[in-house]
Amino acid sequence: MTKPARRARIGVDVGGTFTDLVLHDPERDLVHTGKLLTTPEDPSVAILDGIVRLLREVGMSPAEVHSIVHGTTLVANAIIERTGAKVGLLATAGFRDSIEIGRETRYDLYDLFLEPATPLVPRFLRREIPERVSAEGEGLLPLDEDAVAVAAAELVERDGIEALAIAFMHSYRFPAHERRAAEIVRALYPALPLSLSAEVAPEIREFERTSTACANAYVQPLMGRYLDRLEIALAEIGFLGRLYVMLSGGGITTVNDAKNFPIRLIESGPAAGAMAASFLARLSGLDRVISFDMGGTTAKMCLVEGGSPDHKFDFEAGRVRRFQKGSGLPLKISVVDMIEIGAGGGSLAHVDDAAGTLKVGPRSAGARPGPVCYGGGGTQPTVTDADLVLGRLDPHYFLGGEMELDPERVRRAFEEMIASRLGLAIEASALGVQRIVDETMAAATRLHFAEKGRDPRVYTMIAFGGAGPVHAQHLAALLKIGRVLVPFGAGVASALGFLVAPPATDMVKSHVTRLERADWNEINALFAEMRERGVRLLLEAGADPEEIVCRPSAEMRHVGQGFEIPVPLPSLHLSAADLPAIREAFFSNYRMRFGRTVEDVPIEALSWRLACVAPAEDIRLGASAFPDAGEALAARRGTRKVLFASHGWRECGVYDRYRLAAGARFSGPALIEERESTCVVGPDTVVSVDEFRNLILEPA
Amino acid sequence: MSRATNRGFDPVSLEIYWSRLISIADEAATGLLRTAFSTIVRESNDYGTVLMDRNGDSISENTGGIASFSCILPRTTKAFLSKFPAHTWQPGDSVITNDPWLATGHLPDFTVVTPIFHKGGLVGFAGSIAHSPDVGGALWSADCRELFEEGIRVPPSRLLRAGEWNAELLDLFLANVRVPGQVLGDLQAQVVANEVSMRRVAEFLDDTGLDDLQELSRVVQERADSSMRRAISALPDGAYHATIEADGYDERTTRIACTVRVRGDTMEIDYAGTSPQIDRGINCVFNYTHAYSVYPVKCALDPLVPRNEGSYRAIWVSAPERSILNPVYPAPCSARQLTGHLLAGAIYQALAPVLPERIIAECGGAPTMRALFSGIDRGGDRFSQILFASGGMGAGPHRDGLSATAFPTNVGAGSVEAYESAAPLLVWKKRLRSDSGGPGRFRGGLGQEIEIELRSRGPARLSLLSDRHHHPAAGVCGGAPGAPSMIALDDGSRPHPKSRSTVASGRRLTLLYAGGGGYGDPKTRDRDLVRSDLANGYISAEAAARDYGLEAAP
Repeated sequence: MTKPARRARIGVDVGGTFTDLVLHDPERDLVHTGKLLTTPEDPSVAILDGIVRLLREVGMSPAEVHSIVHGTTLVANAIIERTGAKVGLLATAGFRDSIEIGRETRYDLYDLFLEPATPLVPRFLRREIPERVSAEGEGLLPLDEDAVAVAAAELVERDGIEALAIAFMHSYRFPAHERRAAEIVRALYPALPLSLSAEVAPEIREFERTSTACANAYVQPLMGRYLDRLEIALAEIGFLGRLYVMLSGGGITTVNDAKNFPIRLIESGPAAGAMAASFLARLSGLDRVISFDMGGTTAKMCLVEGGSPDHKFDFEAGRVRRFQKGSGLPLKISVVDMIEIGAGGGSLAHVDDAAGTLKVGPRSAGARPGPVCYGGGGTQPTVTDADLVLGRLDPHYFLGGEMELDPERVRRAFEEMIASRLGLAIEASALGVQRIVDETMAAATRLHFAEKGRDPRVYTMIAFGGAGPVHAQHLAALLKIGRVLVPFGAGVASALGFLVAPPATDMVKSHVTRLERADWNEINALFAEMRERGVRLLLEAGADPEEIVCRPSAEMRHVGQGFEIPVPLPSLHLSAADLPAIREAFFSNYRMRFGRTVEDVPIEALSWRLACVAPAEDIRLGASAFPDAGEALAARRGTRKVLFASHGWRECGVYDRYRLAAGARFSGPALIEERESTCVVGPDTVVSVDEFRNLILEPA
Repeated sequence: MSRATNRGFDPVSLEIYWSRLISIADEAATGLLRTAFSTIVRESNDYGTVLMDRNGDSISENTGGIASFSCILPRTTKAFLSKFPAHTWQPGDSVITNDPWLATGHLPDFTVVTPIFHKGGLVGFAGSIAHSPDVGGALWSADCRELFEEGIRVPPSRLLRAGEWNAELLDLFLANVRVPGQVLGDLQAQVVANEVSMRRVAEFLDDTGLDDLQELSRVVQERADSSMRRAISALPDGAYHATIEADGYDERTTRIACTVRVRGDTMEIDYAGTSPQIDRGINCVFNYTHAYSVYPVKCALDPLVPRNEGSYRAIWVSAPERSILNPVYPAPCSARQLTGHLLAGAIYQALAPVLPERIIAECGGAPTMRALFSGIDRGGDRFSQILFASGGMGAGPHRDGLSATAFPTNVGAGSVEAYESAAPLLVWKKRLRSDSGGPGRFRGGLGQEIEIELRSRGPARLSLLSDRHHHPAAGVCGGAPGAPSMIALDDGSRPHPKSRSTVASGRRLTLLYAGGGGYGDPKTRDRDLVRSDLANGYISAEAAARDYGLEAAP
């Protein structure tokens, strides 16, 4: 008997409400998706059920699965809901309060009573250890080893901590004291999970680094148990392949790495969406793309250039106010550079009596009570309700007809909560909601483009998520983006990201130096050490050593400035001869972002980064995946009236997305319906279906 | 179809247009903040971007900067307009001033205003304010006796004319500052920020089909005005008074007498009885007095509606001429914040009897406390490094004050590691200061304790701008005051709190930042909160017993 070939790959995204699965079988060019309710008490239950069901549906066995890529909101939820471990912190004497003092700013200038983001480690669990190293590495005070042992014993035995973070001053560059303290603790309590700031986030700025180390410790016990359980359970059903975990930066890594640095998984779900958009952009040969993923509570936008998204190295977790910058805990981790705003199908509309205007979001009706039209008890109109009034959604074909929507209830809610209070008709109120939510998204997107020094007009929008295709064209018009691409299965497209994410790792070391005084030998040594670590990790993840690509960069600024910009570096072996090229790279990046350069102020680098990536396994979306599709006329199943901001009420052709074949072409206004979403096409637009069954919307 | 016309706006279009104008100001601010060299801009958020209509009335301001620049910038713009009448402006012009009486109350802030043209006509102005890295003179000191010692004054002048920089003005000006490259860099950043606004407003007008900003400006101002008036109307008519004191300069205590008169939908804030102006740099020029009077009122009464010219029409502020809150030229005023930041506390104390649910106690971080070290490092390079940190905020009716957080200003603190990397200074401690929060049903925010060792080559200069050494932040509604501030060297000496001193290398300086005042009777504080404060070391066992009456655990 021959062993079955391990060929299928599965992506699993555990969200707050649903666990989404996607399977790809390269032999059949088959992509198959599944969705079931998350099992919060033990998420692996839904994962296993889902995998078993998915495999049964495509007629495969667990032994035929090559790999599983996993993403989860567990980390983010543990921090938001404060359900992580009891953590202790060892800090340099004089600095145990750095995570509480923070940046000393108020995130809302006009709120006298704002609630601060409470540190994950309360003050009584933070211990000060005599030790001190200067910024240049001078040992000013030796590590008090006895103090380490005493503090650890108290924290473990008296206070009952479940994990320990260690964060000493200047450890980003001089980690010896942290390492020695860890050895001492490990000898006493070998099973206690430790998070060293020099390993979790070796970057200058003690508040952010310590905060990241504490957050890592906070989720470490939970994620360790969870991933262990999942590995065992998968083995029990006969899975022999590799389990990978999705990182916030859009790469995948090994389970072991994820257990050491679980905080890096915090944005794995949103990262998958960006990776899916990147894949679609590569597939269609689009160099400049803005992805637009609009779901029930949020909208996410991400620039994808040259087939991959940018990264940023700051993130905020557990915000007191979800969409308010500065109201959360800072994390120094690599995340996909995207914006997330409080605009989704569930965003609530209300009248602001003080200003006399209509407002939409950022609060959301969530899954419960949900929009008014769901009939789940919601009384405040939402964006989805507005879309229904405007004719953009079919009350009888929501979620493929699984859920019947109630237009009358929605009209009553609009009348009562909005129309009568503003003196507007119901339709005008609904149109107002649509215009405002689209304008809110446009404003945030414009700012994102502006911060990156980019012009939206030359970009293509790739729209997905349940509400994305409904709002995409109007949003694109506000941004003066001409072309919109809506992938097939737009409602679940983001799960594709799990299948196309590359094994990757991002490393960083802070070492502050003016460029003209840099000790290149020392910097090259930093890169060599990071490269060694990165390649080892990728080899563990099964990458081919020949194919690993390493990209060095540095965070630079003019001396005296407070914000750094990332600058790509020419090689891993730098010398003074590279200076002109490095300076030029800095200036060109600076000019792109800020439209000018300042020539006579010295440049300094703060942190040095290395990104190691192995190639992703792009999947094919072949024709065989789409049976019984035909021309536009065959897919047309009727008409419906839709109210457009620009044209008033128009009769729209309604098309069945599943019956539109590649090459189909027709004119708007139109509605193209699929199970999880509807693509709204305005007048003066031509829709074409490309070879991958993407809808392409362009001006007529 | 709700399409806007130039006459009136439906509530949907108004919301869209209004938020778009705010986001234009925000976009301009982002560029300014990110490219500025000035650490004050960055850490103190001491900057602002404002959009104005053709008359120079403000329509929107950026969300994050210093509050109330939206009421100063229009005044400055009107001063520009009286010198350079509207018909003389051309596309590509920018004008500049740092005159304290026309602009923000001291020389280091530069105001740059750029006209916005659309379809050949002047439709409005983009303005930006930023604290410059240097303006010459006696940098960082409150001890000057006349404005002339404090730096170079640039009267309203053309910085650019039809896209060309005014080279002679720049030469003259840059020849008078210590770091011309950085100063010029920041002026360029301000011009770039204004140009962003200019382009975005033109796009906005194109997209909406509006001819100009006048009608929209009128409507948003009226909305902001009526919202503030509604909030004032809810207060009972009457005159409410408070007098507060601060350390002032040497023996001359600053006394601020504040009467808030509410009549119908208007409010008058009158500082009659306030100390006279003095010959030291803590005089608060009236523009700044006005800004820091209306901002706390906005926070307490009408925090949610976006700000513009209309927000403050219902509020009248007055201070006697030649008082410390309305000094006359050429009074020194470089550290006007040491006086201006006190006003919120006086206003809230006056309003406490009628508005106890919306105000907070005095703040330890008002005024801000700053220490600047400058000298030569061991490598022979010059250094000049400001220490940013804050005292505790006053407590409110339902919440403890925030520790180490400033109000009314919103000052950030940089990282100690970055601070030590930039200068020969070693920070041995930066921690919360136990027992510094004013006791109350809700406790004042804690101040902090910082200890710095100077490791320069030879002695260095220390400049201090501080207060609250003898006048701690008062409590309110029965709450007790926070701990006062204190600054001392390890040899026991006390450097002048508002002047310059010389410090030998190797010395250690300790700075204790003041705590915020408490709110309500401390004996009524929830016992669990007292015990938790004790367990976390926010208060000592003695304070728990003495101030809160907590019985010792058996």
